[in-house]
Amino acid sequence: MLPEHKLKILLDLVKSSSKDELSWMNGYISDIIGEETRKMPVTAKATINKVTIAYGTETGNSKRVATDFAAKAKKNGINAKVVSLDQYRLNDLAKEEYFLTIISTQGEGEPPEAAKKFYDHIHHNGFKLEKLKYSVLALGDTSYPLYCKAGEDVDEQLQKLGGKRIAEMQKCDVEFEEDANLWFSKVLKTLSDNKESNVVPTALPETAKKSAGKKSYSGTIITNINLNDRGSNKETYHIEIAADEVEYEAGDSIGIVPENPDKMVETILSFAKGINAGKKIQYKNESYTIFDLLKYKLNISHLITAVVKRYASIVTQEIPETKIDLLNLLKIYPVKDAAQFEEVLGILNPIAPRLYTMASSPAANNGEVHITVVKDVFTVNEEKKFGICSAFLGRQNINTPIKFFVQKNKRFRLPAPDKDIIMIGPGTGIAAFRSFLAERDATGASGKNWLFFGEQHFAVDFLYQTEIQNWFETGVLTKVNVAFSRDQPEKIYVQHRMWEQGAELYKWIQSGAHVYLCGKKDPMSVDVEHALMGIIEKFGEKTKEEAREFFIQMENEGRYSEDVY
Amino acid sequence: MEEQHNLSGIEKIKQASDGLRGEIEQSLKDEITGAIREGDQAVVKFHGMYQQDDRDRREERAQKKLDRLYTFMIRLRLPGGFMDAKQWVAMHSIAGDNSTGVIKITTRQTVQLHGLIKSKIRPTIKSFSEAGLDSIATCGDINRNVLCSAHPKQSPIHEKVFAYADKISEMLMPKTKAYYEIWLEDEKIADKKEEEDPLYQDRYLPRKFKIAIAIPPNNDVDVFGNDLGLIAIIENNELKGYNIAIGGGLSTTHGNPSTYARLGTVIGFTDTEEKTMKAIYEVLTVQRDYGNRSDRKLARLKYTIDKYGVDWFRTEVEKRAGFKLEPARPFQFTERRDYFGWYQNNRGLWYYTVFVENGRVTDDEQAALKTALLEVAKTNKVSFRFTANQNVIISDISEKDKDSIQKILEKFNIIAHTEASSVVRKNSMACVALPTCPLALAEGQRYLPNLIGKIEPLMEKHGLVNEDIIIRMTGCPNGCARPYIAEIGFVGTAPGKYNLHIGGDNQGMRLNKIYKENLDEPAILNELDNLFSQFKKERTIKESFGDFTVRKQLI
Ligand code: SRM
Ligand SMILES: Cc1cc2nc3c(=O)[nH]c(=O)nc-3n(C[C@H](O)[C@H](O)[C@H](O)COP(=O)(O)OP(=O)(O)OC[C@H]3O[C@@H](n4cnc5c(N)ncnc54)[C@H](O)[C@@H]3O)c2cc1C
Ligand SMILES: Cc1cc2nc3c(=O)[nH]c(=O)nc-3n(C[C@H](O)[C@H](O)[C@H](O)COP(=O)(O)O)c2cc1C
Ligand code: SF4
Repeated sequence: MLPEHKLKILLDLVKSSSKDELSWMNGYISDIIGEETRKMPVTAKATINKVTIAYGTETGNSKRVATDFAAKAKKNGINAKVVSLDQYRLNDLAKEEYFLTIISTQGEGEPPEAAKKFYDHIHHNGFKLEKLKYSVLALGDTSYPLYCKAGEDVDEQLQKLGGKRIAEMQKCDVEFEEDANLWFSKVLKTLSDNKESNVVPTALPETAKKSAGKKSYSGTIITNINLNDRGSNKETYHIEIAADEVEYEAGDSIGIVPENPDKMVETILSFAKGINAGKKIQYKNESYTIFDLLKYKLNISHLITAVVKRYASIVTQEIPETKIDLLNLLKIYPVKDAAQFEEVLGILNPIAPRLYTMASSPAANNGEVHITVVKDVFTVNEEKKFGICSAFLGRQNINTPIKFFVQKNKRFRLPAPDKDIIMIGPGTGIAAFRSFLAERDATGASGKNWLFFGEQHFAVDFLYQTEIQNWFETGVLTKVNVAFSRDQPEKIYVQHRMWEQGAELYKWIQSGAHVYLCGKKDPMSVDVEHALMGIIEKFGEKTKEEAREFFIQMENEGRYSEDVY
Repeated sequence: MEEQHNLSGIEKIKQASDGLRGEIEQSLKDEITGAIREGDQAVVKFHGMYQQDDRDRREERAQKKLDRLYTFMIRLRLPGGFMDAKQWVAMHSIAGDNSTGVIKITTRQTVQLHGLIKSKIRPTIKSFSEAGLDSIATCGDINRNVLCSAHPKQSPIHEKVFAYADKISEMLMPKTKAYYEIWLEDEKIADKKEEEDPLYQDRYLPRKFKIAIAIPPNNDVDVFGNDLGLIAIIENNELKGYNIAIGGGLSTTHGNPSTYARLGTVIGFTDTEEKTMKAIYEVLTVQRDYGNRSDRKLARLKYTIDKYGVDWFRTEVEKRAGFKLEPARPFQFTERRDYFGWYQNNRGLWYYTVFVENGRVTDDEQAALKTALLEVAKTNKVSFRFTANQNVIISDISEKDKDSIQKILEKFNIIAHTEASSVVRKNSMACVALPTCPLALAEGQRYLPNLIGKIEPLMEKHGLVNEDIIIRMTGCPNGCARPYIAEIGFVGTAPGKYNLHIGGDNQGMRLNKIYKENLDEPAILNELDNLFSQFKKERTIKESFGDFTVRKQLI
């Protein structure tokens, strides 16, 4: 419908634009149509020249989005300062004018670790933010019961403190790119107009389409073995689940909602005087017995402070702001009667799913998913406790049915078959690479494969040792290096092995190898990243700065990917 | 010397091993397996180690996707079984840090540690070395640990005789520096000439070679079970020289009639140290040149001698030595035992022989033996002597220190334990067998204690409680606990099944014979019940059980 000359301009523009720019334009234009009013094009010099983009991230998505937007803002002549919320000087908040928050939700509707300080700060009222004009982008995942909760809280609190919304909060599901761009185009526009009138008075009902949850599969556990030998400090379960119709790719995870242990539920009930465990009550417009509710639906361990607060007001007692499980709450701050206990049920959060990286490959293990789960052990004032889901999975006998959903991980994928890969996966991090290797073995990929694995003791903790030996003997694995931290006086970890192999490692990277890291986030992933940058610096004869840029470059090209937790 | 054809695989490995180096350096670097390379498994034996795996754990580990639990057993070189207090302390902590923790006293007067994983071998050998201990040539086709009658009370010149164990061991050590290079990471030697080995060359011996020295009248070392035995000839407290016995060997193979146990043959006497050493040396060279290098089952000295004849062999040795052996001197063995409890030697030093069931030094319900011996060692007022019956003598204690040692032994119930154990239990031995020994067909040290527990009541029933009958058990016919020269021998044939041997004498001068085959426990107890009751009724005064069974022609 466009006349020749306009069409040409458009096509040129499209050709010369990146995917992101296009989707931005898309959002921009659709908005204009939406408001049916012409606006001056953003490319014109904007009158606002200072915004702060503060992000709170756990696994890096929010950061990626924030830096990306800052770059775009600059293109539009707006000087945007990007800062991580744990670096952010809280006193500056009062001075801020334009303040954009990009924050994900973690744990049980909680903010990421790095955003806690900020989150708590804005929740302690007693100060005002008259100047503040803000908007929130909330990253989340619809498969979690409290979708984008942290973002919601921040958006709400900033308003309570007197801040003015310049664009409604945008929630984004796991595939966040599109919605995020839409939000930013709106923000940019209002910034460019610089019209107080653009302030959105109150939160509008969320417009972003909320993807309808994830497909839930029902599988059957066909194998459950503890991979650690006698004398190990650990229990790591190799679990195989048969589920014919399941669809996934190597690199994906599955999500599982655990059940609470009977014993825990029973003791809790024993502390609720006169309660009838069999009594049915409504929950999310279904009816459950109180017992089932506690066993299958409600999180009763490690309650978040918000819940503890509400509990305090129900039992009308002073309770310090800490995480604590329901049982101890009931012990220390008993409920008056059954009625009060039912009231408490009302404030408990649903049990959140736990994610487990798949250790199987669609090509090699058709109709099955395998996971590698380490029993989570921790102590709370000298009492030894086990993680709910890992212990739950450890308890499962074969032939038990189990429900799960598949959690795609687009940023953790095998490269083209002829590309070389370096896999760093200590502990349960091996799961992802058992999947990768099985996949590459089954599909006969020609690229070379190098694995780094680490655990505590060679004799009892070498997860999947015989499979790794077979892959090495058959040439699927080109190189393997292992680090066992406790077999000698000094601790040796994967990063030490990487340093020993530094020259070779850098050679592989130079010739285009993709690097993958999977496993525990703290401290492992941090140490490994440092080692990698150090190796690039030393063997690439670069400065620290160059090494860092090289590394970021790899990330952007998708040649460095993490699946850490 | 005849040219030999179709050499066995091991022969090729030895010769290709570049002075017993093999590919060990690479084997140690193979990160994903606990094993070492095939060829190296033969080579490390010369360094005193065996690759093993815990056979009890194989199935379950396979389930867990874990490789076999490969570990290494290391055996120390302790000529005459001697170790000082500091060395004991070192060994104790090494065992705790790197191995299963059990200190295993062997039937050849030394100790073994089991369960070292590959990455622990170097640290272990280094720590041993710092304590002045090594494991060179304690396994492999070479001269092994040299035995000597253990107890100094046996003779005023025990010390003089004992010194030979060390001299012989030194003389017969391999010249290669591989052990120091690989395990202690010493400088590689530039000039291989330093390593030239006129005795072993690059072939070493066709098979293991064992030497023992006995001081009559006690044959505690089973001198005739060795390839070469020296019998000290002592006249009015003077060492005159040695009778030399050759061709002892106590192993057989089920279903291989050409294998047999053999006692050493006395071939003569040497009067001076120089001649004795020379004669020993040449026995090895003759075996080196004439021993069978194609069939390892027939490679021991005993087969070489029976092939060429004793006289030929003696002449060949004399020719090489350059002198004739004198006729053997008379000697007599009247016993074969350890002297449990306190004894004093001629110089007034005190000795306490501790009963260590099957040589396993560890803390158990009956006695905290390992802890006790550590405390004893820490006093630094003692030394240790291992016996060929898997026991230990706390040694060389001066009069003034005796009480303090006594107190420690009492505190940990060691004395009570030694005294409370029955005569038959103290006389018995079993080999290691399961779970570590790859050749085991049946249980050894894990089973005998409990079988003895069922034999004791039988002896009581027939009033034989104080008879020192010698009972020995092995998990296979290799004979590591010398069952073929026991009065009652059990040789494993299959799980829970043993051949019952009887007819050996009490002094270790006569082999026993198979009496019944493949017996399970009830059958064993039934047979012994009958034999004991017959023995009780029909024995002559002082007649030993072994002699009785022969006189009665039971075998
Ligand atoms: C530890 C010990 C038994 C004990 O409980 O004390 C022992 C243990 C083993 N012997 Fe032995 N032998 C031991 C004394 C003996 C004796 C007794 C003696 O020497 O007085 C004999 C019989 C005498 C003889 O050699 O004729 C003996 C004849 C064998 C044989 C058969 C040799 C032959 O001529 O066929 C083997 C198998 C082989 O060498 O092929 C063997 C092999 C073995 C091995 C190393 C199994 C192997 O080859 O992999 C056993 C290790 C088990 C373990 O896990 O520890 N062992 N072995 C003894 C260590 C002595 C030492 O300190 O050096
Ligand atoms: C993308 C992704 C992939 C993953 N892949 C794997 C994998 O492959 N294998 C694997 O094993 N794990 C994996 N995880 C981790 C896994 O999802 C779970 O977090 C882990 O199993 C622990 O869950 P849990 O229910 O057993 O422990 P939880 O009960 O959730 O407890 C977890 C932690 O919370 C704290 N806590 C809990 N209760 C209390 C209390 N009462 N008082 C004080 N502190 C308390 C403790 O620190 C405890 O360690 C992955 C996680 C992610 C995000
Ligand atoms: C352990 C864990 C718990 C999570 N809990 C929630 C949640 O309760 N609600 C939610 O909406 N999203 C939840 N998510 C999803 C994340 O918010 C989502 O993956 C987001 O993209 C992460 O962004 P980030 O990398 O900036 O932290 C959770 C993710 C993980 C790994
Ligand atoms: S006798 Fe047989 S079973 Fe016993 S230790 Fe020797 S080789 Fe092993």
